Amino acid sequence: MNERAYPRWLRLAAPGLVGLATLLAWHLIVTLGQVPVYLVPAPLVVLGALASDWALLGASLLVTLKITLLALGLALVLGVLVAFLFVQSRLIELSLFPYVVLVQVTPIVAIAPLIIIWVKDPTAALVICATIVALFPIVSNTIVGLRSVDPGLVDLFRLHHASRWQVLLRLRIPSCLPYFFAGLRVSSGLALIGAVVAEFVAGTGGTGSGLAYQILMSGLQLNIPRLFAALLLIAATGVVLFLGASLLARLALGRWHESEMRNEYEPR
Amino acid sequence: MNSCAEQVVRTEAPLVRVRQVSKTFRGGVRALDPVDLDIERGEFLTLIGPSGCGKSTLLRLIAGLVTPSGGRVDVAAGASRRAFVFQTPTLMPWASVADNVRLPLDLEGTTAPEARERVAAALARVGLQEFSRAYPRELSGGMQMRVSIARALITDPALLLMDEPFAALDEITRARLDRDLLGLWTGTPLTVVFVTHSISEAVLLSNRVVVMSARPGRLLDAIRVDEPYPRERGFALSERHARLCAQLGGLLEAASGAGPDE
Ligand SMILES: Nc1ncnc2c1ncn2[C@@H]1O[C@H](COP(=O)(O)OP(=O)(O)O)[C@@H](O)[C@H]1O
Ligand SMILES: [Mg+2]
Repeated sequence: MNERAYPRWLRLAAPGLVGLATLLAWHLIVTLGQVPVYLVPAPLVVLGALASDWALLGASLLVTLKITLLALGLALVLGVLVAFLFVQSRLIELSLFPYVVLVQVTPIVAIAPLIIIWVKDPTAALVICATIVALFPIVSNTIVGLRSVDPGLVDLFRLHHASRWQVLLRLRIPSCLPYFFAGLRVSSGLALIGAVVAEFVAGTGGTGSGLAYQILMSGLQLNIPRLFAALLLIAATGVVLFLGASLLARLALGRWHESEMRNEYEPR
Repeated sequence: MNSCAEQVVRTEAPLVRVRQVSKTFRGGVRALDPVDLDIERGEFLTLIGPSGCGKSTLLRLIAGLVTPSGGRVDVAAGASRRAFVFQTPTLMPWASVADNVRLPLDLEGTTAPEARERVAAALARVGLQEFSRAYPRELSGGMQMRVSIARALITDPALLLMDEPFAALDEITRARLDRDLLGLWTGTPLTVVFVTHSISEAVLLSNRVVVMSARPGRLLDAIRVDEPYPRERGFALSERHARLCAQLGGLLEAASGAGPDE
């Protein structure tokens, strides 16, 4: 598969143009068609709401961001620990993995009310929900990564009498990194989804200040421009998280892994 | 069994003595029936045989990567340093060429300045001094194999075990690597055990070629290639070479017939 290498400016300009065209079409349809603002507000109206309600929305953004990042960090630490535990022995994995899957396949909306009842602190409850959602890709990818070591390299390390520690540091962890980062990229999005969903479930009983809460209240008050503005912030947060995870992956793997290879590094 | 080996009078004990070594894998695959083999100091010994006959298994037994089901592998005191070159380059993709080559030194805890010096020397020996900062993916298959060889040689091993190292390379690259390998070995005390399924490569490189039978593997016959080193370029095209290849081909055919497959 030899993909054509488009110049960098085009790779940025193409999606940018699509975005602009969509916004323009949206604007024209809404204004020319005289769509009422409580159904679909025009893009500029949404921007206006974002600016005028920034004090409210900005604070909510911080709350959601805090929950998302805490959950992502927790999922990262827990996920890696669980993965290391599982690869220690097949028996451990065999006995515990089904339950990890069980937690993963149970919809968070169904578990969230219980967690919110059990955990007194609303922020902690939301973080736990979001962590549950974000955990699985990190666990499963890290397990696969820790297992997918080149058997020839394992032989080589054995031949040179490497210690368990050297095998772990110099072989297993580096082999695992591409898988881990693929998991992290998925989990960063999931942590946000988990945070928003949990806040919806918590409703007014939750912290009462995240972006989901703003969407909920704006909907009740038919303040649709603000609802759109909050939506826009959530989407933007998702994109930033994804880009952040991708950047981390590029920094860590940059030069060697194929998923991060660029055209400069064609074989000589 | 090795009638040729017995004709040669040697004062020194063999570097490796394989005595009645057999291997049956878990699950009951009988890979190797009891095998006797003496590996002489400084020789270039090639194992050849039908695929699946246990060549890799025998090599891994000699390397100590596999424990025998029966028998013993005795290694002379001076040969504790063994190096292995696999069929694929087996490099760490996340490490530069230099870091790949110095891995054995890092595992042994060699100091940084000494390691740097030895890496530079090892890369120079395989002609890759300019590529020390490159990454494996940026190199061709032949160059990756050179890195693998540099890594094997960096610990100054007494015994170099090579498992079909050039089998995946194109004909021209393989011929060049064959020649360079001979150049690296000639005049050194290094002992090489080389596995190949190419008859002409076996004759071109070795002092001695041992033919193995189809599974369960046994050592059938050995031929000696009494062509002095360094070998002339013309040797590969000579009548002597062709005659030895024909002889070896005959032995190999008999060996393949001895087993169930092919
Ligand atoms: N780790 C293993 N477990 C079970 N069977 C094996 C293992 N390694 C090799 N074998 C079997 O032993 C036989 C000899 O294998 P091998 O030494 O790789 O042959 P060769 O290198 O001559 O092609 C083959 O039938 C192979 O399937
Ligand atoms: Mg083999």
